[in-house]
Amino acid sequence: MNIKVPVSWLREYLKTDVAAKTLAGYLSLSGPTIERLEKQKDEIIFEVEVTSNRYDMASIFGLAREANSILSYRGEKCQLVPPKGLNLILEPDISSPLPLDVVIKNKSLCPRFTAIVVDNVKIKSSPATIKNRLQKSGIRAINNIVDISNYIMLELGQPMHTFDYDKIKKNRMILRESKEGEKIKTLDGQIRKLPQNAIVIENDQRLIDLCGIMGGENSQITKRTKRVVLFVQTYNPINIRKTTQVLSFRTEAAARFEKGVDIEAIPQALARAVYLAKKIAGAKIASELTDIYQTANPSIALRASKKQETSLAISKLNSYLGIDIKIEEAQKILNLLGFSAKIQNQTILATAPSWRTSDIQDDVDLIEEIARIYGYWRLPSKLPSGIVPDVPESELSKVIDLKKALKFLGLTEVMTYSIISKELLFLTDTEEKNAIALANPLTSEWQFMRPTLLVSLVNVIAKNQNLKSDIKIFEVAKTYLKTENELPKQDLMFAAIFQNSTFYEIKGFIENIFAILDRDAKWQKLEKEDELFEKDQTAQITVLGQEIGRVGILNSKVSDHFAIAGQLASCEINLTRLFDSPQILNTYKNIPKYPPVIEDISAIFDSKAPVGEIVAEVKKSGSPLVKKIEIIDVFEDEKIGTGKKSVTLRLTYQRSDRTPTQKEVTLVREKISARLTKTFRAQIRK
Amino acid sequence: MDQNIRKTFDSTKAKVTSVKVLKDLQQVYIETFGKGGQFTKLTKEISKLPKRDRPRFGKLINVAKKNLETEFARKRSELKKEKSQGYIDVTAPGKKRALGHLHLVSQAIEEIVYIFRQLGFHLQSYPEIDWDWYVFESLNMPKNHPARDDWETFFVKSSLKPKLGSLVLTPHTSNGQIREMERLKHPPIRMLNVARCYRRQIDISHTPMFHQFEGLLIDKNVSIPTLKGTFDYFTTRFFGPQRITRLRPHHFRFTEPSFEVDVTCSICSGRGCRLCKDGWLELGGAGMVHPKVLKNGKIDPSVYSGFAFGWGVERTIAMKTDVNDIRLLYQNDIRFLEQF
Repeated sequence: MNIKVPVSWLREYLKTDVAAKTLAGYLSLSGPTIERLEKQKDEIIFEVEVTSNRYDMASIFGLAREANSILSYRGEKCQLVPPKGLNLILEPDISSPLPLDVVIKNKSLCPRFTAIVVDNVKIKSSPATIKNRLQKSGIRAINNIVDISNYIMLELGQPMHTFDYDKIKKNRMILRESKEGEKIKTLDGQIRKLPQNAIVIENDQRLIDLCGIMGGENSQITKRTKRVVLFVQTYNPINIRKTTQVLSFRTEAAARFEKGVDIEAIPQALARAVYLAKKIAGAKIASELTDIYQTANPSIALRASKKQETSLAISKLNSYLGIDIKIEEAQKILNLLGFSAKIQNQTILATAPSWRTSDIQDDVDLIEEIARIYGYWRLPSKLPSGIVPDVPESELSKVIDLKKALKFLGLTEVMTYSIISKELLFLTDTEEKNAIALANPLTSEWQFMRPTLLVSLVNVIAKNQNLKSDIKIFEVAKTYLKTENELPKQDLMFAAIFQNSTFYEIKGFIENIFAILDRDAKWQKLEKEDELFEKDQTAQITVLGQEIGRVGILNSKVSDHFAIAGQLASCEINLTRLFDSPQILNTYKNIPKYPPVIEDISAIFDSKAPVGEIVAEVKKSGSPLVKKIEIIDVFEDEKIGTGKKSVTLRLTYQRSDRTPTQKEVTLVREKISARLTKTFRAQIRK
Repeated sequence: MDQNIRKTFDSTKAKVTSVKVLKDLQQVYIETFGKGGQFTKLTKEISKLPKRDRPRFGKLINVAKKNLETEFARKRSELKKEKSQGYIDVTAPGKKRALGHLHLVSQAIEEIVYIFRQLGFHLQSYPEIDWDWYVFESLNMPKNHPARDDWETFFVKSSLKPKLGSLVLTPHTSNGQIREMERLKHPPIRMLNVARCYRRQIDISHTPMFHQFEGLLIDKNVSIPTLKGTFDYFTTRFFGPQRITRLRPHHFRFTEPSFEVDVTCSICSGRGCRLCKDGWLELGGAGMVHPKVLKNGKIDPSVYSGFAFGWGVERTIAMKTDVNDIRLLYQNDIRFLEQF
């Protein structure tokens, strides 16, 4: 949450000669960050980043208080001047005070409730200073009474509300939890249907306030208002938060209540409101003060009300800071920040000021306070020492090297969103109920966690197909598969697509990859239909019997969907499984001393006879003399007959003790030929 | 004599065939036809033969000589051809291999990992869809805590598990913190975790998916100066020696104290310009691991302390290159990808 602070307003409470820019620097280095410093004609605006632990920074006075501590420590001349009227005595100005009957049904909803009625109010526009300040802070001025509530919220960080006293029937308010489906028309004219557990105020069987978020229209201040209820509370932040989430409706007030406010400062905020109402609206106090403080409530009021002492050993402080600072110095810093800090045996015992109680619980919280004011820039800088843990890295470290290899093989890496649309999910043939679906998607384009990378890659080809005709892309990313009751399966996948390419081109590429990764793969025909691949033009690859991926021609259903011309050769490989499989261990074999005999065998086979099986047969019958088998030519031709193909094998015959004799070679060759003829009904070509 | 000629012929021819360079070919030529060369000797032998045999052997030698001369000439031109092509236009393009391109995010990750490895950090990988417990609860962010709002989280339709809660897309890599503590059980820990993260936002500097980078160091006597030193080491190596870092107080529930780490702006060198905050660019968040987080990871906070940091990889790319709209990184226009 960011707030805008006009520096002239800040200077009303922080008296110092330090220039705005310098001040912003001091604050950013030791306190809240000043994200931007906007120069206007007659003003400088600080844009302050308010972190969720420092609700006290969502106020101009709070910022002045913080700046005052920082400047004092840095030796700058400065003084904190609190707003007027904080300690105004709230007693009726008239002899017969007006009644206000308040019932709080569930005490945990509202740890502290204050209200007072003022009379004789003249509704008009606020003085220029107030109007200007509101406007510079990004809030529209409305009338003097409504402006007071906004002004107090900005000044003290305490949201407040105002009712027209005469619109509260029978002067009775019941603060309670809403029932599901109850309705209230809020000040912005919207009718809001409430969930359960919102905090509301009921008056005469109607709702007049959606507490902590926005008031009801039926009780709002109008030009004719004469008597006003000034209303300052703190609410259970969880109820406020849940309500704003369910209604998707968050106001400036709600943002502050969700974080919690300074419970001790509530009467002061009310007093300040009364002071301003008297000053700019001619108001007179017309009721007794209502102040219901639920100190007894253990769950909510605890942190706020109990003065909790936190202890910090100086040794721990110094081990965090890496230097030795004196305990008195640390104590001084805490005191400057409004803590009450005392020293006891090299330990600091500190009690946080009321505006910091929810943020200060452990010794490390005190360390942060001391360290930031002392100045992080004053601490030395050193490299980690100690033992470097000896642990293996994850598969990701291998991916870095793999990606480089892919680049050198000519592939371009893409990165696509892992969240896909229903349309893409449909292409993967995953049923919606089996997919990982987002409960709160941002748009319909991003609804499901993808079970495959391929559809996203096809999408990239589609987008680029008019720019190039030989795109080769890849991606390495996790896919997400649903598992019953467990964490989704999140294996690392590698996928690639070659535009206008063939099965053999991508197969050769995958063979290269396996050689780079020192893995041995088995190629088999795809057995079942696959939504992503053409069944008859795709191989499934296994390593040690486990399937690790598919390589082939992308199913035309998918490429047609994207209106892609030409054939897409693609693959998807499970890297988690691949990296888990053992690497081939390359051991040294003696370099042959005697030259080999190299001969070719050509034969005609049925065109569907798998070359892999032919080689396996040759290997079996040629062993041990045949050391190497290469396929050097495969072709089909009318001359050799339809449904036939010619395959030429180059065989290397070699022995370690001498050159093989022609007789030996002939014997083995004949054995191989016979085998091929028998197994494949091959016709050996002479 | 017949045999002599054949033998000399064959051995010379074999030599010519096997010769690799011109100089050696010339040597063979001299050995064959030079003074005292083998054929010169053979020719001289003719005079020792009976007269009637002389013409026949003379012819034989001549045929062999002629044959060999042809061989020499052929080899000579062959060897010359291998070596020289005459004029070369050195400005004409060479024969290139097709190279691909790595995504900018991968390049940045590689560089980051390389730098932190030198400090003994190990790259690990943790789930990108994880239980609420690891993502929030164990990191000191109880349910309904307003700090959770900062993470703009995507939730997964899933059933609730006791303790672990529901499934979320990780909005940061910090889920790796507790998981690493559980995995190693005992410090020292020096972990890097790089993963895809997801948040419900998209604009010029945010994409719903991005990469985050997480470091975690747990040991005895880990101090804020160690964290500063680690960042200084990284910054000068990643961004260059002129760039420096600073820590700015901040708030994260899982670290205490917490900081944001800034690096001096490259555009204005720290003087302040419209692209930066007063001369500084925000790099990421960091802090000393909160004792409650250590406890949740079953590590004794009275013995060990640590620091953690995390930031968007895309942000560092924007800070280092001129990619001014982060969404470009995920549009996968080939004209963009091929620039890097």
